[in-house]
Amino acid sequence: MIKKILLICLLIVSMSSPVFAVDGKALLEQVDRNLSPESYESYRKLINIEPSGAKKEFTLFTVKKGVDKVASLFIAPASEKGRSTLRLGDNMWLNIPNVGKPIRITSLQSVVGGVFNNADIMQLDYAVEYDVEKIEEGAEYLLYLKAKTKSVAYDRLKIWVNKDKKLPTRIECLTEANMLIKTLYFKDTKDFGGGIVRPAVIETDSPLYKGYKSVIIMAGVKKRTFKDEVFTLTFLPNLESLR
Amino acid sequence: MKSLGCIFLILSLLMTPLSLLAEEEYTFDLSETEKKPYHFAGYIEAKPLLFGLDRDSALYKLRYFDNPQGQTQLEGNGRVQLEGSFEKNIFRVYAKTNTDLQSSYSGESERSTFYEIYASAKPTTSWKFDVGKKTMKWGKGYAWNPVAFIDRPKDPDDPEQAMEGYVLATADYIKSFDGPLTTFSFTPVLFPVYDHINDSFGNNYNLNLAGRFYFLLYDTDIDLLFMTGGSKPDRYGMDFSRNITTNFEVHGEIAYFRNSRKNVVDATGNRYTVEGESVSSVIGIRHLTSFDLTTIIEYYHNGLGFSGDEMKNYYGLINRGYDSYKSTGNTNTLIQAQQLAESGYVRANSMKNYLYARFSQKEPLDILYLTTSLTGMMNIDDQSWSLTPELLYTGFTNWEFRLRSGIIVGRRNSEFGEKQNDYRIELRIGYYF
Repeated sequence: MIKKILLICLLIVSMSSPVFAVDGKALLEQVDRNLSPESYESYRKLINIEPSGAKKEFTLFTVKKGVDKVASLFIAPASEKGRSTLRLGDNMWLNIPNVGKPIRITSLQSVVGGVFNNADIMQLDYAVEYDVEKIEEGAEYLLYLKAKTKSVAYDRLKIWVNKDKKLPTRIECLTEANMLIKTLYFKDTKDFGGGIVRPAVIETDSPLYKGYKSVIIMAGVKKRTFKDEVFTLTFLPNLESLR
Repeated sequence: MKSLGCIFLILSLLMTPLSLLAEEEYTFDLSETEKKPYHFAGYIEAKPLLFGLDRDSALYKLRYFDNPQGQTQLEGNGRVQLEGSFEKNIFRVYAKTNTDLQSSYSGESERSTFYEIYASAKPTTSWKFDVGKKTMKWGKGYAWNPVAFIDRPKDPDDPEQAMEGYVLATADYIKSFDGPLTTFSFTPVLFPVYDHINDSFGNNYNLNLAGRFYFLLYDTDIDLLFMTGGSKPDRYGMDFSRNITTNFEVHGEIAYFRNSRKNVVDATGNRYTVEGESVSSVIGIRHLTSFDLTTIIEYYHNGLGFSGDEMKNYYGLINRGYDSYKSTGNTNTLIQAQQLAESGYVRANSMKNYLYARFSQKEPLDILYLTTSLTGMMNIDDQSWSLTPELLYTGFTNWEFRLRSGIIVGRRNSEFGEKQNDYRIELRIGYYF
């Protein structure tokens, strides 16, 4: 009798436990690599859409190297042209040509307004900033991520990953208390050439910005290597020379 | 049951086109990002201003002694900035012009100048050379930068305004590392001061040398700076900036000036020069809350500034000069006071110790692109102060609307109390193209 009860308990425990057949860390790293090469350049259009339908667009040229170096240059609209941002790990700066010297900014701020913040715009690899706590397997993989440090913009992420393509379809950004901050929807998977196949559109909405929506459209994603000196404050005003 | 199914089918059919319409198509054509060898851009601004004059203040008497004004004064300002560049291989030329237009009680005026015009060569990512007129903008402070040795003084009332540069030759050398020292860069500057070249900067006929060493060390920005050469007393400085947490930044600057000089007046109106070493410094923080309130607080010590007694003597000189003009028509004392004004007495923050606080709330009441701010500046030595509430709206692409007022408060013989205005209201409409 005791043996039977133990067996039933074992069965229940094994059924309710997360699936560990998939290596969460390896899957997350695979998702990162499928989203972008480790070093690349890209163009992005950011569109903030208000409940009235009014839109404001920003166009950025972005370069990334390794796990913790990202720099972006605004090339439109005219009011933002020439602004540039740099991220080195947890350090972030904004350079406004008129103001001249780069100022330190934080991941929660938004240089463009709307639902996207600086951490979204200067996104590092997910595997660099998060640990996989557990995975659930259904029609898609569902990864539960926990930030490695307090300096990361969102304490927790839930990522739904397409099983075949190993690409995210949806990401929920949450606080430590599991309060939803925003949801990112990955759409329109496209072949950018050079073996890069990834969603070209990321939509986001947030319960904190009811009725508002922001969209990122990717273009010209391609592998490119850069010298480390590109990712420095002194080089920041010269990002245009990389285009 | 069938009828329910029918209704569901009809509803589904009716809903289908709506859901298709809701699925908006986003397009991004790479041709929009095509880079041309040349670029042209500009900015136009209209800025009407209303001043409430303090007709008993010393600086009102100094400026309007022979042309008395009413309680208020209207002023119209306009600004046109044009910029362009041309790039070929490793070379680039860049120019930015600024035209200020003004219509005020004294008539209409126009001043046009090149803010920047320089040529650059960038042979590698580690090296860059610039020759021409350029702004350097050294320092980490928001309202004040005592280490900005080769920049024109910033307006602490409007620190984000574009500034005119100086003619110089400079280079940047950058080197990145793995380890606690992530970045090192060196920026040497050759800074000539001759007739018609930077001649407003200091003593003429000197080729000055300045430089900045930058380190990103243990996630802290650190600059070591210097300037020597004879146009101004030698000066050395250091600044830093670091994020203590992701939303809390601390910064500071310290500058040491050898043999600095200032012209002062004593209680009887005699003019003399004070010489000696001095140290100026800024320490500040920048903090962001989860609800997007940015706070900037800075303390500024101006080692070259005037003491309370030195300022009182100056205001006394103006008042005596004004009384003398009223009774005899003699303007000699007022002219002497005007000369002293130009040498430093009426510069922004000409005294010793100041506190600056700016609270800026982004998107209040969930109104996208609206920013409300409140800025306060206090002269700690005489407890006079100014308060500037501000509304900024950037919701229309390339347009900027800024409404702000300034309230100036202080007793007699205090810095803000003796300014020519009690308040001002300003509307600024800007368009970028």
